Amino acid sequence: MAVPALLALAFVVFVAVAYGQEPQAPGAGAVVLPAIPAASGESAASALAGSETVGPQPLSNPNGVSRFMAVLEPVDARAQPGGARIVARLSTRTPEGTTNVVLALARVEREGKLWIKVRLPVLPNNTTGWIRRESLGGYNTVNTHLVVSTRTLTATLYRFRKAVFSARVGIGQSRWPTPTGRFYIRNKLTRYSSPVYGPLAFGTSARSAVLTDWPAGGFVGIHGTNQPRLIPGRISHGCIRLRNADILRLAQLMPPGTPLTIV
Amino acid sequence: MSELLTLDEVDRDGAIRETMDAIADDSRAGFLKKSMLATGGIVGGGALLAAMASPAQAATANDVSILNFALTLEYLEAEFYTEAVAMGALSGEVLDFARIVAQHERAHVAFLKKALGTAAVPKPSFNFRGTTENQAKFKATAQVLEDTGVKAYAGQAPLIDSNAILAAALSIHSIEARHASWIRHINGVPPAPNAFDPAATKQRILAAVAATKFITGTPAMTASGGSPAFTG
Repeated sequence: MAVPALLALAFVVFVAVAYGQEPQAPGAGAVVLPAIPAASGESAASALAGSETVGPQPLSNPNGVSRFMAVLEPVDARAQPGGARIVARLSTRTPEGTTNVVLALARVEREGKLWIKVRLPVLPNNTTGWIRRESLGGYNTVNTHLVVSTRTLTATLYRFRKAVFSARVGIGQSRWPTPTGRFYIRNKLTRYSSPVYGPLAFGTSARSAVLTDWPAGGFVGIHGTNQPRLIPGRISHGCIRLRNADILRLAQLMPPGTPLTIV
Repeated sequence: MSELLTLDEVDRDGAIRETMDAIADDSRAGFLKKSMLATGGIVGGGALLAAMASPAQAATANDVSILNFALTLEYLEAEFYTEAVAMGALSGEVLDFARIVAQHERAHVAFLKKALGTAAVPKPSFNFRGTTENQAKFKATAQVLEDTGVKAYAGQAPLIDSNAILAAALSIHSIEARHASWIRHINGVPPAPNAFDPAATKQRILAAVAATKFITGTPAMTASGGSPAFTG
Protein backbone atom coordinates (compact mmCIF):
# COMPACT_ATOMS: atom_id res chain seq x y z
CA MET A 1 0.00 0.00 0.00
CA ALA A 2 1.39 3.42 -0.93
CA VAL A 3 2.41 5.85 1.79
CA PRO A 4 -0.42 8.35 1.05
CA ALA A 5 -2.95 5.54 1.25
CA LEU A 6 -1.50 4.39 4.56
CA LEU A 7 -1.70 7.91 5.92
CA ALA A 8 -5.28 8.22 4.75
CA LEU A 9 -6.14 4.92 6.38
CA ALA A 10 -4.43 5.99 9.59
CA PHE A 11 -6.50 9.17 9.62
CA VAL A 12 -9.74 7.31 9.02
CA VAL A 13 -8.97 4.88 11.83
CA PHE A 14 -7.99 7.77 14.09
CA VAL A 15 -11.22 9.64 13.48
CA ALA A 16 -13.31 6.51 13.80
CA VAL A 17 -11.73 5.56 17.09
CA ALA A 18 -11.81 9.12 18.33
CA TYR A 19 -15.54 9.36 17.83
CA GLY A 20 -16.32 5.94 19.17
CA GLN A 21 -17.01 4.26 15.86
CA GLU A 22 -15.72 0.94 14.74
CA PRO A 23 -13.20 1.57 11.97
CA GLN A 24 -14.28 -0.25 8.85
CA ALA A 25 -11.97 -2.72 7.22
CA PRO A 26 -10.56 -1.55 3.89
CA GLY A 27 -11.10 -3.55 0.79
CA ALA A 28 -8.30 -4.61 -1.47
CA GLY A 29 -6.27 -1.50 -2.17
CA ALA A 30 -9.07 0.82 -1.09
CA VAL A 31 -9.85 2.91 1.95
CA VAL A 32 -13.46 2.56 3.04
CA LEU A 33 -14.77 5.63 4.80
CA PRO A 34 -17.63 5.46 7.30
CA ALA A 35 -21.14 5.98 6.00
CA ILE A 36 -22.31 9.57 5.82
CA PRO A 37 -25.62 10.61 7.35
CA ALA A 38 -27.59 13.24 5.48
CA ALA A 39 -27.48 16.88 6.52
CA SER A 40 -30.78 17.14 8.24
CA GLY A 41 -34.27 15.80 8.37
CA GLU A 42 -35.32 12.25 8.36
CA SER A 43 -32.32 10.63 6.70
CA ALA A 44 -29.92 12.07 9.25
CA ALA A 45 -32.40 11.29 11.96
CA SER A 46 -32.62 7.69 10.89
CA ALA A 47 -28.86 7.40 10.76
CA LEU A 48 -28.46 8.73 14.26
CA ALA A 49 -31.37 6.73 15.55
CA GLY A 50 -30.16 3.55 13.95
CA SER A 51 -28.76 1.96 17.07
CA GLU A 52 -31.55 0.66 19.27
CA THR A 53 -29.37 -0.19 22.22
CA VAL A 54 -29.98 0.90 25.79
CA GLY A 55 -26.51 2.44 25.83
CA PRO A 56 -25.61 5.98 24.87
CA GLN A 57 -27.10 7.29 21.64
CA PRO A 58 -24.55 9.10 19.46
CA LEU A 59 -25.17 12.79 18.86
CA SER A 60 -22.23 13.73 16.67
CA ASN A 61 -20.53 12.20 13.69
CA PRO A 62 -17.60 14.16 12.26
CA ASN A 63 -18.42 12.82 8.81
CA GLY A 64 -22.01 14.00 9.04
CA VAL A 65 -24.04 15.95 11.55
CA SER A 66 -22.51 17.15 14.81
CA ARG A 67 -24.29 18.87 17.66
CA PHE A 68 -23.18 21.45 20.19
CA MET A 69 -24.96 22.95 23.19
CA ALA A 70 -24.65 26.06 25.32
CA VAL A 71 -23.72 25.75 28.99
CA LEU A 72 -26.70 27.39 30.71
CA GLU A 73 -25.40 27.44 34.28
CA PRO A 74 -22.13 26.73 36.08
CA VAL A 75 -21.96 22.96 36.12
CA ASP A 76 -19.70 20.03 36.91
CA ALA A 77 -18.88 17.47 34.28
CA ARG A 78 -18.55 13.97 35.64
CA ALA A 79 -16.68 10.88 34.55
CA GLN A 80 -19.89 8.84 34.32
CA PRO A 81 -23.61 9.66 34.14
CA GLY A 82 -24.57 10.26 37.74
CA GLY A 83 -21.05 9.43 38.84
CA ALA A 84 -19.36 11.26 41.65
CA ARG A 85 -15.97 12.03 40.13
CA ILE A 86 -15.83 15.53 38.71
CA VAL A 87 -13.60 15.90 35.66
CA ALA A 88 -14.20 19.59 34.98
CA ARG A 89 -16.17 22.57 36.16
CA LEU A 90 -17.70 24.67 33.40
CA SER A 91 -18.81 28.28 33.39
CA THR A 92 -21.36 29.86 31.09
CA ARG A 93 -18.91 32.19 29.31
CA THR A 94 -15.58 31.72 27.58
CA PRO A 95 -12.58 33.92 28.42
CA GLU A 96 -13.50 35.89 25.30
CA GLY A 97 -16.97 36.62 26.66
CA THR A 98 -18.90 34.41 24.26
CA THR A 99 -21.39 31.73 25.27
CA ASN A 100 -19.53 28.66 26.47
CA VAL A 101 -20.53 25.69 24.34
CA VAL A 102 -19.64 22.01 24.41
CA LEU A 103 -19.65 19.47 21.62
CA ALA A 104 -22.34 16.88 22.34
CA LEU A 105 -21.10 13.33 21.74
CA ALA A 106 -23.84 11.09 23.13
CA ARG A 107 -26.90 11.02 25.32
CA VAL A 108 -28.21 8.48 27.79
CA GLU A 109 -31.02 8.21 30.32
CA ARG A 110 -30.13 6.91 33.76
CA GLU A 111 -32.76 6.52 36.47
CA GLY A 112 -35.03 8.96 34.72
CA LYS A 113 -32.36 11.62 34.24
CA LEU A 114 -30.92 12.60 30.88
CA TRP A 115 -27.15 12.92 30.64
CA ILE A 116 -25.10 14.29 27.76
CA LYS A 117 -21.54 13.20 27.06
CA VAL A 118 -19.56 16.22 25.92
CA ARG A 119 -16.10 17.12 24.78
CA LEU A 120 -14.54 19.47 27.30
CA PRO A 121 -12.30 22.53 26.85
CA VAL A 122 -9.93 21.46 29.61
CA LEU A 123 -6.56 19.88 30.21
CA PRO A 124 -5.63 17.18 29.64
CA ASN A 125 -6.74 17.61 26.05
CA ASN A 126 -9.28 15.11 24.71
CA THR A 127 -11.11 14.96 28.05
CA THR A 128 -14.80 14.10 27.89
CA GLY A 129 -17.41 14.16 30.63
CA TRP A 130 -21.12 13.81 31.38
CA ILE A 131 -23.40 16.75 32.15
CA ARG A 132 -27.04 16.79 33.23
CA ARG A 133 -29.27 17.67 30.28
CA GLU A 134 -31.03 20.53 32.05
CA SER A 135 -27.74 22.42 32.47
CA LEU A 136 -27.36 22.61 28.70
CA GLY A 137 -29.26 24.50 26.02
CA GLY A 138 -30.86 23.23 22.86
CA TYR A 139 -29.13 21.19 20.20
CA ASN A 140 -27.40 23.19 17.48
CA THR A 141 -26.21 21.32 14.43
CA VAL A 142 -23.26 21.71 12.06
CA ASN A 143 -22.20 19.53 9.14
CA THR A 144 -18.59 20.67 8.91
CA HIS A 145 -15.36 19.18 10.26
CA LEU A 146 -11.96 20.88 10.27
CA VAL A 147 -8.89 18.68 10.10
CA VAL A 148 -5.41 20.11 10.69
CA SER A 149 -2.41 18.00 9.81
CA THR A 150 0.73 18.81 11.78
CA ARG A 151 2.65 16.66 9.32
CA THR A 152 1.61 18.30 6.06
CA LEU A 153 0.91 21.70 7.68
CA THR A 154 -2.48 21.83 6.04
CA ALA A 155 -5.96 22.72 7.27
CA THR A 156 -8.83 21.08 5.42
CA LEU A 157 -12.50 21.77 6.01
CA TYR A 158 -14.94 18.99 5.16
CA ARG A 159 -18.67 19.28 4.67
CA PHE A 160 -19.73 15.71 5.21
CA ARG A 161 -16.74 13.96 3.68
CA LYS A 162 -16.21 16.45 0.88
CA ALA A 163 -13.27 18.84 1.20
CA VAL A 164 -14.54 22.39 0.67
CA PHE A 165 -11.48 24.33 1.84
CA SER A 166 -7.77 23.70 2.17
CA ALA A 167 -4.86 25.97 3.09
CA ARG A 168 -1.33 25.74 4.42
CA VAL A 169 -0.84 26.61 8.05
CA GLY A 170 1.74 27.48 10.63
CA ILE A 171 1.73 25.44 13.83
CA GLY A 172 3.57 25.33 17.13
CA GLN A 173 7.31 25.13 17.41
CA SER A 174 8.71 21.89 18.80
CA ARG A 175 9.02 23.38 22.30
CA TRP A 176 5.40 24.64 22.17
CA PRO A 177 3.70 21.95 20.13
CA THR A 178 0.18 22.29 18.80
CA PRO A 179 -1.80 19.66 20.71
CA THR A 180 -3.23 16.76 18.74
CA GLY A 181 -6.58 15.12 19.28
CA ARG A 182 -10.29 15.93 19.04
CA PHE A 183 -11.57 19.40 19.75
CA TYR A 184 -14.16 21.89 18.51
CA ILE A 185 -14.47 25.52 17.52
CA ARG A 186 -15.75 27.61 20.43
CA ASN A 187 -16.10 31.07 18.96
CA LYS A 188 -15.18 33.57 16.28
CA LEU A 189 -13.56 36.91 17.07
CA THR A 190 -13.20 39.98 14.88
CA ARG A 191 -12.21 43.65 15.06
CA TYR A 192 -9.79 43.20 17.92
CA SER A 193 -6.78 45.37 18.52
CA SER A 194 -3.86 42.94 18.15
CA PRO A 195 -2.38 42.64 14.61
CA VAL A 196 -0.65 39.41 15.61
CA TYR A 197 -3.87 37.47 15.07
CA GLY A 198 -4.70 38.97 11.68
CA PRO A 199 -8.25 40.02 10.85
CA LEU A 200 -10.12 37.10 12.40
CA ALA A 201 -9.56 34.41 15.02
CA PHE A 202 -11.39 31.23 15.93
CA GLY A 203 -11.15 30.03 19.51
CA THR A 204 -10.88 26.29 20.01
CA SER A 205 -11.27 23.88 22.91
CA ALA A 206 -7.63 22.82 22.51
CA ARG A 207 -5.12 24.03 25.08
CA SER A 208 -1.37 24.15 25.15
CA ALA A 209 -0.09 21.40 27.43
CA VAL A 210 3.10 23.40 27.87
CA LEU A 211 2.07 27.03 28.24
CA THR A 212 -0.29 26.37 31.11
CA ASP A 213 0.34 29.79 32.64
CA TRP A 214 -0.57 31.62 29.44
CA PRO A 215 -3.24 34.29 29.96
CA ALA A 216 -6.79 32.90 29.89
CA GLY A 217 -5.51 29.34 30.09
CA GLY A 218 -3.42 28.90 26.94
CA PHE A 219 -6.21 28.14 24.52
CA VAL A 220 -5.16 27.40 20.96
CA GLY A 221 -6.59 29.72 18.34
CA ILE A 222 -6.90 29.43 14.60
CA HIS A 223 -6.23 32.86 13.20
CA GLY A 224 -4.61 35.14 10.65
CA THR A 225 -1.17 36.66 10.94
CA ASN A 226 1.00 39.70 10.43
CA GLN A 227 3.87 37.48 9.28
CA PRO A 228 2.46 35.59 6.28
CA ARG A 229 5.91 34.72 4.92
CA LEU A 230 6.39 32.25 7.80
CA ILE A 231 3.50 30.06 6.59
CA PRO A 232 3.75 27.11 6.23
CA GLY A 233 6.02 26.34 9.13
CA ARG A 234 6.46 25.40 12.76
CA ILE A 235 6.41 28.94 13.99
CA SER A 236 3.90 29.57 16.74
CA HIS A 237 3.37 29.07 20.46
CA GLY A 238 0.80 26.41 19.59
CA CYS A 239 -1.81 28.36 17.65
CA ILE A 240 -2.68 27.51 14.08
CA ARG A 241 -1.94 30.42 11.79
CA LEU A 242 -3.33 30.93 8.30
CA ARG A 243 -2.65 33.64 5.78
CA ASN A 244 -5.21 36.40 6.17
CA ALA A 245 -6.97 35.70 2.90
CA ASP A 246 -7.28 32.06 3.92
CA ILE A 247 -8.68 32.71 7.40
CA LEU A 248 -11.26 35.06 5.92
CA ARG A 249 -12.24 32.44 3.36
CA LEU A 250 -12.46 29.80 6.10
CA ALA A 251 -14.68 32.10 8.15
CA GLN A 252 -17.21 32.12 5.33
CA LEU A 253 -17.45 28.34 5.41
CA MET A 254 -16.96 27.19 9.00
CA PRO A 255 -19.50 27.95 11.73
CA PRO A 256 -18.49 27.94 15.40
CA GLY A 257 -19.35 24.57 16.90
CA THR A 258 -17.53 22.71 14.13
CA PRO A 259 -15.57 19.66 15.31
CA LEU A 260 -11.78 20.04 14.99
CA THR A 261 -9.35 17.16 14.62
CA ILE A 262 -5.62 17.83 14.86
CA VAL A 263 -3.45 14.93 13.73
CA MET B 1 -53.13 2.00 0.47
CA SER B 2 -51.03 3.90 2.97
CA GLU B 3 -52.65 6.11 5.57
CA LEU B 4 -51.47 9.16 3.64
CA LEU B 5 -53.06 9.93 0.34
CA THR B 6 -50.50 10.45 -2.35
CA LEU B 7 -50.84 12.76 -5.30
CA ASP B 8 -51.39 9.78 -7.57
CA GLU B 9 -54.19 8.45 -5.38
CA VAL B 10 -56.00 11.77 -5.20
CA ASP B 11 -55.33 12.99 -8.70
CA ARG B 12 -56.48 9.96 -10.66
CA ASP B 13 -57.76 12.05 -13.57
CA GLY B 14 -54.69 14.34 -13.57
CA ALA B 15 -56.69 17.48 -12.86
CA ILE B 16 -54.44 18.69 -10.07
CA ARG B 17 -51.32 18.12 -12.10
CA GLU B 18 -52.86 20.01 -15.00
CA THR B 19 -53.70 22.92 -12.76
CA MET B 20 -50.21 23.02 -11.31
CA ASP B 21 -48.63 22.70 -14.74
CA ALA B 22 -50.75 25.59 -15.95
CA ILE B 23 -49.37 27.86 -13.27
CA ALA B 24 -45.88 26.42 -13.20
CA ASP B 25 -44.35 29.55 -14.70
CA ASP B 26 -45.06 31.29 -11.43
CA SER B 27 -42.18 30.67 -9.04
CA ARG B 28 -44.40 30.23 -6.00
CA ALA B 29 -46.65 27.89 -7.85
CA GLY B 30 -43.59 25.93 -8.88
CA PHE B 31 -42.57 25.73 -5.26
CA LEU B 32 -46.02 24.57 -4.23
CA LYS B 33 -45.92 21.84 -6.78
CA LYS B 34 -42.47 20.74 -5.71
CA SER B 35 -43.25 20.84 -2.02
CA MET B 36 -46.43 18.88 -2.41
CA LEU B 37 -44.74 16.26 -4.53
CA ALA B 38 -41.74 16.10 -2.24
CA THR B 39 -43.73 15.46 0.89
CA GLY B 40 -45.55 12.51 -0.62
CA GLY B 41 -48.84 13.51 0.95
CA ILE B 42 -51.37 16.00 -0.34
CA VAL B 43 -53.80 18.06 1.61
CA GLY B 44 -55.71 20.09 -0.90
CA GLY B 45 -56.78 20.53 -4.49
CA GLY B 46 -55.38 22.35 -7.45
CA ALA B 47 -57.73 25.28 -7.07
CA LEU B 48 -56.36 25.99 -3.62
CA LEU B 49 -52.83 25.83 -4.89
CA ALA B 50 -53.62 28.30 -7.60
CA ALA B 51 -55.38 30.62 -5.18
CA MET B 52 -52.44 30.60 -2.82
CA ALA B 53 -49.87 31.00 -5.57
CA SER B 54 -48.66 34.37 -4.33
CA PRO B 55 -50.55 35.33 -1.19
CA ALA B 56 -47.97 37.74 0.24
CA GLN B 57 -48.08 39.92 -2.85
CA ALA B 58 -51.66 40.90 -2.15
CA ALA B 59 -51.71 40.25 1.59
CA THR B 60 -52.70 42.94 4.03
CA ALA B 61 -50.40 43.79 6.92
CA ASN B 62 -52.89 41.98 9.13
CA ASP B 63 -52.62 38.80 7.07
CA VAL B 64 -48.82 38.97 6.97
CA SER B 65 -48.85 39.20 10.76
CA ILE B 66 -51.14 36.20 11.02
CA LEU B 67 -49.04 34.18 8.58
CA ASN B 68 -45.90 34.98 10.57
CA PHE B 69 -47.64 33.92 13.76
CA ALA B 70 -48.52 30.65 12.06
CA LEU B 71 -44.96 30.32 10.77
CA THR B 72 -43.54 30.69 14.26
CA LEU B 73 -45.75 27.87 15.53
CA GLU B 74 -44.86 25.72 12.54
CA TYR B 75 -41.13 26.34 13.09
CA LEU B 76 -41.58 25.10 16.64
CA GLU B 77 -43.54 22.02 15.65
CA ALA B 78 -41.24 21.12 12.75
CA GLU B 79 -38.14 21.38 14.91
CA PHE B 80 -39.77 19.46 17.75
CA TYR B 81 -40.67 16.45 15.62
CA THR B 82 -37.49 16.49 13.54
CA GLU B 83 -35.36 16.52 16.66
CA ALA B 84 -37.49 13.84 18.33
CA VAL B 85 -36.96 11.51 15.40
CA ALA B 86 -33.21 12.26 15.38
CA MET B 87 -32.75 11.61 19.09
CA GLY B 88 -33.62 7.93 18.77
CA ALA B 89 -35.77 7.73 21.91
CA LEU B 90 -39.03 6.90 20.09
CA SER B 91 -40.26 3.56 18.90
CA GLY B 92 -43.25 1.80 17.38
CA GLU B 93 -46.36 3.81 16.52
CA VAL B 94 -44.98 6.86 18.30
CA LEU B 95 -41.97 6.91 16.01
CA ASP B 96 -44.24 6.42 12.98
CA PHE B 97 -46.37 9.33 14.14
CA ALA B 98 -43.34 11.56 14.72
CA ARG B 99 -41.81 10.80 11.33
CA ILE B 100 -44.97 11.60 9.40
CA VAL B 101 -45.90 14.67 11.40
CA ALA B 102 -42.34 15.98 11.11
CA GLN B 103 -42.72 15.75 7.36
CA HIS B 104 -46.03 17.63 7.46
CA GLU B 105 -44.72 20.37 9.72
CA ARG B 106 -41.64 20.92 7.57
CA ALA B 107 -43.96 21.20 4.58
CA HIS B 108 -46.03 23.79 6.43
CA VAL B 109 -42.88 25.78 7.22
CA ALA B 110 -41.73 25.66 3.62
CA PHE B 111 -45.18 26.68 2.40
CA LEU B 112 -45.49 29.64 4.75
CA LYS B 113 -41.91 30.82 4.18
CA LYS B 114 -42.40 30.77 0.47
CA ALA B 115 -45.73 32.53 0.75
CA LEU B 116 -44.28 35.27 2.96
CA GLY B 117 -41.06 35.69 1.01
CA THR B 118 -38.86 38.36 2.56
CA ALA B 119 -41.59 39.17 5.10
CA ALA B 120 -41.08 35.79 6.79
CA VAL B 121 -39.81 35.90 10.35
CA PRO B 122 -36.52 34.04 10.88
CA LYS B 123 -36.46 30.69 12.59
CA PRO B 124 -35.83 30.99 16.33
CA SER B 125 -33.56 28.72 18.33
CA PHE B 126 -35.16 26.01 20.42
CA ASN B 127 -34.44 24.02 23.53
CA PHE B 128 -36.98 21.27 24.01
CA ARG B 129 -35.59 20.46 27.45
CA GLY B 130 -35.52 16.72 27.10
CA THR B 131 -39.07 16.34 25.75
CA THR B 132 -37.68 15.03 22.45
CA GLU B 133 -35.46 12.54 24.26
CA ASN B 134 -37.96 10.53 26.24
CA GLN B 135 -40.99 8.80 24.76
CA ALA B 136 -43.40 9.56 27.60
CA LYS B 137 -42.44 13.24 27.67
CA PHE B 138 -42.63 13.40 23.90
CA LYS B 139 -46.16 11.95 23.81
CA ALA B 140 -47.45 14.39 26.40
CA THR B 141 -45.77 17.38 24.77
CA ALA B 142 -46.90 16.44 21.27
CA GLN B 143 -50.52 16.38 22.42
CA VAL B 144 -50.20 19.83 23.98
CA LEU B 145 -48.51 21.24 20.88
CA GLU B 146 -51.09 19.82 18.49
CA ASP B 147 -54.07 20.88 20.59
CA THR B 148 -52.49 24.34 20.81
CA GLY B 149 -51.93 24.48 17.07
CA VAL B 150 -55.58 23.64 16.40
CA LYS B 151 -56.75 26.36 18.76
CA ALA B 152 -54.33 28.86 17.26
CA TYR B 153 -55.52 28.37 13.67
CA ALA B 154 -59.15 28.42 14.81
CA GLY B 155 -58.54 31.68 16.64
CA GLN B 156 -56.93 33.39 13.66
CA ALA B 157 -59.22 32.14 10.89
CA PRO B 158 -62.03 34.69 11.47
CA LEU B 159 -59.46 37.49 11.45
CA ILE B 160 -57.95 36.71 8.05
CA ASP B 161 -58.75 39.25 5.33
CA SER B 162 -57.98 37.18 2.23
CA ASN B 163 -60.17 34.26 1.23
CA ALA B 164 -57.17 32.59 -0.42
CA ILE B 165 -55.15 32.78 2.77
CA LEU B 166 -58.14 31.62 4.79
CA ALA B 167 -58.47 28.57 2.54
CA ALA B 168 -54.79 27.75 2.96
CA ALA B 169 -55.00 28.22 6.73
CA LEU B 170 -57.98 25.91 6.92
CA SER B 171 -56.14 23.25 4.95
CA ILE B 172 -53.34 23.37 7.52
CA HIS B 173 -55.79 23.61 10.42
CA SER B 174 -57.50 20.36 9.51
CA ILE B 175 -54.16 18.59 9.32
CA GLU B 176 -53.21 19.89 12.76
CA ALA B 177 -56.54 18.56 14.00
CA ARG B 178 -55.76 15.16 12.50
CA HIS B 179 -52.38 15.22 14.26
CA ALA B 180 -54.10 16.11 17.52
CA SER B 181 -56.54 13.23 17.17
CA TRP B 182 -53.76 10.84 16.22
CA ILE B 183 -51.55 11.60 19.22
CA ARG B 184 -54.59 11.62 21.49
CA HIS B 185 -55.44 8.13 20.24
CA ILE B 186 -51.86 7.02 20.89
CA ASN B 187 -52.05 8.53 24.37
CA GLY B 188 -55.29 6.70 25.12
CA VAL B 189 -57.42 9.80 25.53
CA PRO B 190 -60.55 10.68 23.51
CA PRO B 191 -59.46 11.82 20.03
CA ALA B 192 -62.50 14.08 19.67
CA PRO B 193 -63.68 14.90 23.18
CA ASN B 194 -66.14 17.66 22.29
CA ALA B 195 -68.62 18.60 19.58
CA PHE B 196 -67.09 22.08 19.40
CA ASP B 197 -63.47 23.10 19.86
CA PRO B 198 -62.68 26.37 21.61
CA ALA B 199 -60.41 28.77 19.76
CA ALA B 200 -57.65 30.76 21.43
CA THR B 201 -56.36 34.25 20.86
CA LYS B 202 -52.85 35.00 19.67
CA GLN B 203 -52.01 36.40 23.10
CA ARG B 204 -53.09 33.21 24.84
CA ILE B 205 -51.19 31.04 22.41
CA LEU B 206 -48.02 33.12 22.70
CA ALA B 207 -48.28 33.02 26.49
CA ALA B 208 -48.63 29.24 26.37
CA VAL B 209 -45.63 28.93 24.04
CA ALA B 210 -43.57 31.25 26.24
CA ALA B 211 -44.45 29.13 29.26
CA THR B 212 -42.83 26.09 27.64
CA LYS B 213 -39.51 27.96 27.42
CA PHE B 214 -38.91 26.06 24.19
CA ILE B 215 -37.98 29.20 22.25
CA THR B 216 -34.54 30.40 23.33
CA GLY B 217 -31.79 32.73 22.29
CA THR B 218 -29.07 31.60 19.91
CA PRO B 219 -25.68 31.01 21.58
CA ALA B 220 -23.55 34.14 21.21
CA MET B 221 -20.45 32.64 19.64
CA THR B 222 -19.00 35.66 17.91
CA ALA B 223 -17.44 38.71 19.51
CA SER B 224 -15.61 41.80 18.38
CA GLY B 225 -13.23 44.21 20.04
CA GLY B 226 -10.77 43.53 22.84
CA SER B 227 -7.80 41.33 22.16
CA PRO B 228 -7.65 37.54 22.01
CA ALA B 229 -5.43 35.76 24.50
CA PHE B 230 -4.79 32.66 22.44
CA THR B 231 -1.30 31.19 22.44
CA GLY B 232 -0.54 32.92 19.12
